[in-house]
Amino acid sequence: MKAYFLLQFKMTNRKLADYGLNPILGFCIIFAVFIGFSMYLFSRTEFAVYMYMLIAWSFVAKLSEKKRNDFLKSIFLKISYVKLRMIENSIVVLPFVAFLIYKQLFPDAIMITAITLMMALVNFNSTFNYTIPTPFYKKPFEFTVGFRNTFYLFLLNYSLACIAASVGNFNLGVFALLLVFLLSFSFYSKPENEYYVWSFIDTPKGFLIKKIKTAFLYSTLLSIPILLILCIFFPGEIKTILLFQLLSYIYLVTIIFAKYSNYPDEMNVPQGFLIALSVLFPPVLVGVIPFFYVQSMKKLNVFLA
Amino acid sequence: MINVENLSKYYGTKQVLIHINLHFEKGKVYGIVGENGSGKTTLFRCIAGLEKHEGIISADLLPLKNHLGLLLTEPFFFSKITGREYIRLLCNARNLHTGNIDDRNIFDLPLHQYASTYSTGMKKKLALTAILIQENQYFILDEPFNGVDIQSNIILAAIIHKLKDLGKTVIISSHIFSTLSDTCDEIHLLKNGVFIKKVYQEDFDKLEAAMKETTVGNKIDKLGLI
Repeated sequence: MKAYFLLQFKMTNRKLADYGLNPILGFCIIFAVFIGFSMYLFSRTEFAVYMYMLIAWSFVAKLSEKKRNDFLKSIFLKISYVKLRMIENSIVVLPFVAFLIYKQLFPDAIMITAITLMMALVNFNSTFNYTIPTPFYKKPFEFTVGFRNTFYLFLLNYSLACIAASVGNFNLGVFALLLVFLLSFSFYSKPENEYYVWSFIDTPKGFLIKKIKTAFLYSTLLSIPILLILCIFFPGEIKTILLFQLLSYIYLVTIIFAKYSNYPDEMNVPQGFLIALSVLFPPVLVGVIPFFYVQSMKKLNVFLA
Repeated sequence: MINVENLSKYYGTKQVLIHINLHFEKGKVYGIVGENGSGKTTLFRCIAGLEKHEGIISADLLPLKNHLGLLLTEPFFFSKITGREYIRLLCNARNLHTGNIDDRNIFDLPLHQYASTYSTGMKKKLALTAILIQENQYFILDEPFNGVDIQSNIILAAIIHKLKDLGKTVIISSHIFSTLSDTCDEIHLLKNGVFIKKVYQEDFDKLEAAMKETTVGNKIDKLGLI
């Protein structure tokens, strides 16, 4: 079992190295981002603990994938397998539990740990036959695949918007709106297999315009329920709502350009830094967007010329 | 027509294709055979423009990739995309209207299900259906018969004959000699990145016999099976 965890550690280090990061620096960045995100989340909404649990379990659920666990079962004895699964699930939720303890949310920390340990005994079959319907069938694939992977988070978002309307908390409503776009950004976080770019009859510019059009259309579709709720219940804030919507579109374009600016490889650390910088200080977008655009054109030219 | 002139490909310092010269004509089916790692897939990826290379690849319809249906050995599918959506995606990429996809579902695939849940053979049939609906002029089929059931293999052979009749250029690789001898006009033998032999239909039997002789030889005896 020790060899298994050493191997997992090595694999994690290799993934960090693939991102161009020294593993120690990588772990430090992950730690800093995690603390920063947790602090931010808990400072923004009283529902943070529920979202926190959901995020923790979404990581744990990835370890419960059926094929992965069938493989582990085939190589470990049953008792070793259960122990191993419990240990790896515990490792994943440990930072979340530690932060909840720091926040003195002891019952939540116990609950998250207990459910996580129970999840070690469950395999999620990702190959079930039910196809989740989406309104995105005309232009696969980012929103089709992304929505199916995260539909429960959208349900949560829409619930948050309803709660925001019922308690008159405009900030929470805007938070829900921004989460829709954050999820949409995540659909563009990984580069697709090169075959899917190569197949297009288009110039790099035309290809990017198509991607942006689809992203605008479908992210609008996903945000409309929240937009309507906010406009109806907070009519005095329409200008602010539209400003956030506009900003989200601009960041969506940035993410799409950023994705293809290092294609077919994943976004690297400097690109991540530029995105983070533009979130903290939006005026830099004036330089960041053209930079990513030019890089994308160069990278896509290899496949679309 | 596709013309390959003096094509070379390096991975680092290792040269995997060495000064390849090939000519593929309209209305003909070409077979590429060779051992694992001989460079077949790399050659296909170079022709498709998926790999940087030395040498010139030209065609009568340009850009070549816009008229090429490429069936990879292991087609890639997103985790939550249905068969129908996959076909739609590839047709959208070529600015084509798909029409009624179900009418053209000749392999009776469950198009409403996620493609990632398909078996190996079904995935291959789905990828093939998509590139056929794309109305390409050139086809590169990398091991199309692998993992596909015998009924579909028969359909696949018939499709290749039909493509030939329609004047398309088809290039196939396969490890099953009979599938090539049934469908190809020419077979090219690739070894360590070099084409060592070109054989026409009338000599396929001789090629198969020669391959058996050189490949198997006395290797089985070395196993010492008792």
